Amino acid sequence: MRIVIAEDDPLLREGVALLLRAESLDVVATAGGPAALLAAVDEHRPDVAIVDVRMPPTHTDEGIRAAVEARRRHPGLAVLVLSAYVERAFATELLATGGDGLGYLLKERVGRVEQFLDALHRVAAGGTAIDPDVVAQLLTRSRPDGGLERLTARERDVLALMAEGLGNTAIAERLVVTEGAVHKHIRSIFAKLGLAPADRADRRVTAVLRYLDDGRRPGR
Amino acid sequence: MAEQGRTDAWRGALVAHARAVLDAVEHLIGGLGTALLAFVALVWTAAVAALCPLGIGLLLAPTAPRLARSVAERERHRLSRSGAEIMPAGRAPAGLRAALADATVRRDLGWVAVHATWGLLISAFGVVLTANAVQDFTYPLWWRMLPRDQATPSFVPWTVRDEPSALAVGLYGMALAVCFLIVGPGLARVQAWPGRRLLAPAAGADLSLRVAHLSATRAAALDAHAAELRRIERSLHDGAQNRLVAVTVLLGAARRALARDPATAEAALGRAHDAAEQALAELRLVVRSILPPVLADRGLAEALAGLAADCPVPCRVDVDVPGRCAASAEATAYFVTAEALTNIAEHSRARAAAVVLRRRGDRLVLRVEDDGVGGAAEGAGAAGGHLGSGLAGIRGRAEAHDGRLTLTSPPGGPTVLTVELPCGS
Repeated sequence: MRIVIAEDDPLLREGVALLLRAESLDVVATAGGPAALLAAVDEHRPDVAIVDVRMPPTHTDEGIRAAVEARRRHPGLAVLVLSAYVERAFATELLATGGDGLGYLLKERVGRVEQFLDALHRVAAGGTAIDPDVVAQLLTRSRPDGGLERLTARERDVLALMAEGLGNTAIAERLVVTEGAVHKHIRSIFAKLGLAPADRADRRVTAVLRYLDDGRRPGR
Repeated sequence: MAEQGRTDAWRGALVAHARAVLDAVEHLIGGLGTALLAFVALVWTAAVAALCPLGIGLLLAPTAPRLARSVAERERHRLSRSGAEIMPAGRAPAGLRAALADATVRRDLGWVAVHATWGLLISAFGVVLTANAVQDFTYPLWWRMLPRDQATPSFVPWTVRDEPSALAVGLYGMALAVCFLIVGPGLARVQAWPGRRLLAPAAGADLSLRVAHLSATRAAALDAHAAELRRIERSLHDGAQNRLVAVTVLLGAARRALARDPATAEAALGRAHDAAEQALAELRLVVRSILPPVLADRGLAEALAGLAADCPVPCRVDVDVPGRCAASAEATAYFVTAEALTNIAEHSRARAAAVVLRRRGDRLVLRVEDDGVGGAAEGAGAAGGHLGSGLAGIRGRAEAHDGRLTLTSPPGGPTVLTVELPCGS
């Protein structure tokens, strides 16, 4: 897996690179800003770009905009965005660009190396990785139709993991149940929420996230 | 020791009274100026009123309130400088009817009448008293130069013919001076009193000005607050937070490598340790940049003295600020001084510098000066690059707190930087 890292803080940039290289992953270039990221992506054609949200010059959402631009130029590019804060708007903005292979994680998740690598591989394979905190934020507000209230506690757990982008096998492992049980929960969730059944994990994530995000805006 | 303390207390009281007397002279002279203007306005108003039956007075009538307003504004400004601030009233209403219906205009006209008569009398008395005291006190030194028959000064009830009677005039002058020392400050207050009563917005009558002024200053304070929060957020994010994220990343890497490759784990742990220490150092910096502990513990005077002691250029500190100001104002004064002294040390080639801090009304006035090469300017060219950015930082700090920066720095020096800040207390 060929990786480009864009992060303006040198210590953090080198830290992530060190971690990935120790895992025998191929970090082909590192960049300190949006322009350098685009140049590195053009030159090295990586599989994944790991991108910090806040980068020079204004330290607002340069990373998101550079990621969107990089994907416009190279449609197959997977992007994992790292952020110092949970900012749901960034996650939904990114997902709104559509397509596969997108991730949005809090920076400190990188320290939980197994889960970080799992998310990285998932994104590189065209899947989705959404930070648990973002999902938790999306789940806190109840919808006007009361859909979430109809779910059992276990079904909510499954829904949260689905929203993070996990596949059935991973969900089963996390919750220590059989895959068959996960299947059953998912069917029940989709029925209760009135969503069309979707088999592929990424389609499922998109549907679930859109459902949850709509619930945050009852006025519209 | 006790005696020393008593002497110091006496000296302090003496200096304070001397200052009050000098202020009184200044106020009486300034008041004489506005009283003369008020007299002109009063005469004009009377003339216009007298011409009204002729018709031409009606045409001129609107000028009277406007003239009164412009004199009153001058007095408001003058009184604001020497005590509690009096809101400017702005333009008088245009038409005569509207003007006469306006409570502020009526109060302006009332003040003009009082200040042009009573105020004029008081200020003239004060000024004449001062002038006579000075003239008569020094009289024995120069009376011989006067022609014999005109030698007696005015307001002296005896005729001066010889040395003893001239000396008596000197004593008389001294008595007048003592008189003024006692009544001068009171005289200045009596003279300013009608202005303070009549020119301040009437209680409950027109609060809109006050409200407008307060909302403006409040908005500025909120802006300053928001700018400060942004600055703190940015320095926390760019510093300690990023360092701590790096710590977790490196710790994660170390844990993964522990079994497989102890050398890598060791290296990652070492870097994590460094990053944690950097995080601490940066947290300390941020804390200091919010409110330096020395300021909270020791007060502004000692904090500034500490800065001056650290400055490689010999620096005199003169702080005379009764009480304490708002913490934000003190912190701003502190940072501005720190930045200015850094500039002086790096660029001015000065041999001496001075930091002077005073309180003027509700404003804190900080002056930092040096005898260096001068030529300091914001955004100065190649040589002054650092200097320029330092000054821009000072301006940013000052303006974020609704303050004002003025800088004079001719080539060849000296450089004087003045920052005025609202005390907020």
